[in-house]
Amino acid sequence: MTLLSIALRNILRRRLRTALTLCGVAVGIAAFVALVGFSKSFEKEWLKIYQSSGTDLAVVQKTFLNTSVDESAGDKIRTVPEVADAVPMVLNLMDLTPEVNALVYGFPETSFELDSLKILQGRRFHDDAPEVMLGEILADNLGKKVGDPLDIEGRSFLVVAVFRGGSALETGGALMPIRQLQNLADLGRKATAFHVRLKPAPAGVSTDEYVQKARRDIEAALPGLKAVPAGERASNNQLVVLARSTAWGTSFIALFVGALGIANTMAMSVFERTKDIGVLRALGWKRWRIMKLILIESGILGLFGGVLGLAGGWVALRVLASLPVTASLASANIPLSHAAEALSIAILIGLAAGFIPAYRGARLSPVEALRHD
Amino acid sequence: MTECLLEAKGVTKSYDDGRIQALRGVDVQIKAGEFVAISGPSGSGKSTLLHLLGGLDLPTGGEIRFKGTSLANSFDLDQFRSRRIGFVFQSFHLLPTLRALENVQIPMFEGKLGIHQRRDKAEALLREMGLEHRLHQYPNQLSAGERQRVAIARSLANDPEILLADEPTGNLDSENSVKIMVILERIQKQRNMALIIVTHEEEIARSALRNIHIRDGRISSQ
Repeated sequence: MTLLSIALRNILRRRLRTALTLCGVAVGIAAFVALVGFSKSFEKEWLKIYQSSGTDLAVVQKTFLNTSVDESAGDKIRTVPEVADAVPMVLNLMDLTPEVNALVYGFPETSFELDSLKILQGRRFHDDAPEVMLGEILADNLGKKVGDPLDIEGRSFLVVAVFRGGSALETGGALMPIRQLQNLADLGRKATAFHVRLKPAPAGVSTDEYVQKARRDIEAALPGLKAVPAGERASNNQLVVLARSTAWGTSFIALFVGALGIANTMAMSVFERTKDIGVLRALGWKRWRIMKLILIESGILGLFGGVLGLAGGWVALRVLASLPVTASLASANIPLSHAAEALSIAILIGLAAGFIPAYRGARLSPVEALRHD
Repeated sequence: MTECLLEAKGVTKSYDDGRIQALRGVDVQIKAGEFVAISGPSGSGKSTLLHLLGGLDLPTGGEIRFKGTSLANSFDLDQFRSRRIGFVFQSFHLLPTLRALENVQIPMFEGKLGIHQRRDKAEALLREMGLEHRLHQYPNQLSAGERQRVAIARSLANDPEILLADEPTGNLDSENSVKIMVILERIQKQRNMALIIVTHEEEIARSALRNIHIRDGRISSQ
């Protein structure tokens, strides 16, 4: 017999209460796994866009909310010695049908961003034509193929290609000429950002140093704008930040409720077992051993709740991955690091929630506890 | 002369900011291997004295000494209870979620025995109590007499020098009371332990070598 086996027996003493507590923790962890997993997947897919197209820097406005950059900035960016190419891009989230919305990207026809796409059917769009290229997931969701018309915001576009991108955000989205998207979104000649590809770093200069120098030079040439490395842009753009904040905020509330459940269960359990704790103290158990026993119990509740929550989160992600609206963003696979993070949080919640009941249990006077009814 | 093992010297115990005086200057000496009964009417302070002698609580005044050293100053009371004292309670106080064999192992967690040694020792103690067929029963599957025998086995887990029994037959019928007293006296002699029994039963008090009678928190005879 070990402390662990005693803890397990104590947990199983009130099975219904334990089951309900586990459900509370599981809901919190499932929310964390699904929502934070979804936001991480979103961030990862965003990074893939930059990686697959070879974008090194994104040039955006310094302000957080309004990131529109005048297209004229492109000429100045291209004069920076480290810059090989700089293309304006516009990004928008649009309702393509009442059920399906998608990210719509606007690029010039000649943008290097388009080179990395694999065109499965059709051809690249032409700059001045009302044409659209659909990612294969989006085309499937919309039931569209090359040659079909597609109404976007009351204007008719011709589907000229179905493509596969390096990221699910591309494959689940649509591409159109930047002018067309600027007109649709009433942006004039404003772009969301400039995507910059740098020349190869000279011999003897590290890539990091070279990128930093390029950033400084671009920012010196264009006061008011900032050049952000692709990885940083992927994790800090407004959509990702919003998704991450929402995911963590919602998960925190759910996890907090789960923690309250464990705290309540452990407080009840310690109260009900006051006499038993008195017996243990009378038989010479030290306070820290009593505390350890109660913390093991609450930790186990956290751990098992976490395992249940992982399963629940996996089911939720599978559902998200199967829905047309979110299929391109959600992955049904839970990375090991995310699973480990979820279980660690679950155990920590268990331990934190059990601390006060454990402390109170350990402080009981043996004589008082033995008299307890 | 036999060594004085446990001693209460001028012990007082009060509760509720002094409004309740449970003990009023008690002097008691217990020698090694001695069988002592503490008797008296309900509320006389006999259980309080037993708790103080066993290190479950500290006196308000005076001191409890073990082998001449004050418990208050020189002892880790948890360790004292674990290694020197065995407790037997009127209500048995077995843990309901643990089997008989597991209940007996509980005090051994504070010792140095490994898992298998703890189990073997607990089994041997239960066999000594005639409970070899009840090792894997939960307390609610045992009779009252069996539960008290499990509790006695548990009290012997760390080979204490003193066994403190608080009304050990209080919840038993006469047949089981006799059995329990036979066991307690047997192990006291076999192990040469000091046995201190709190009781209000005259017969048990008479069976002890010495009877300390308490009334209103004072020793009236010993």
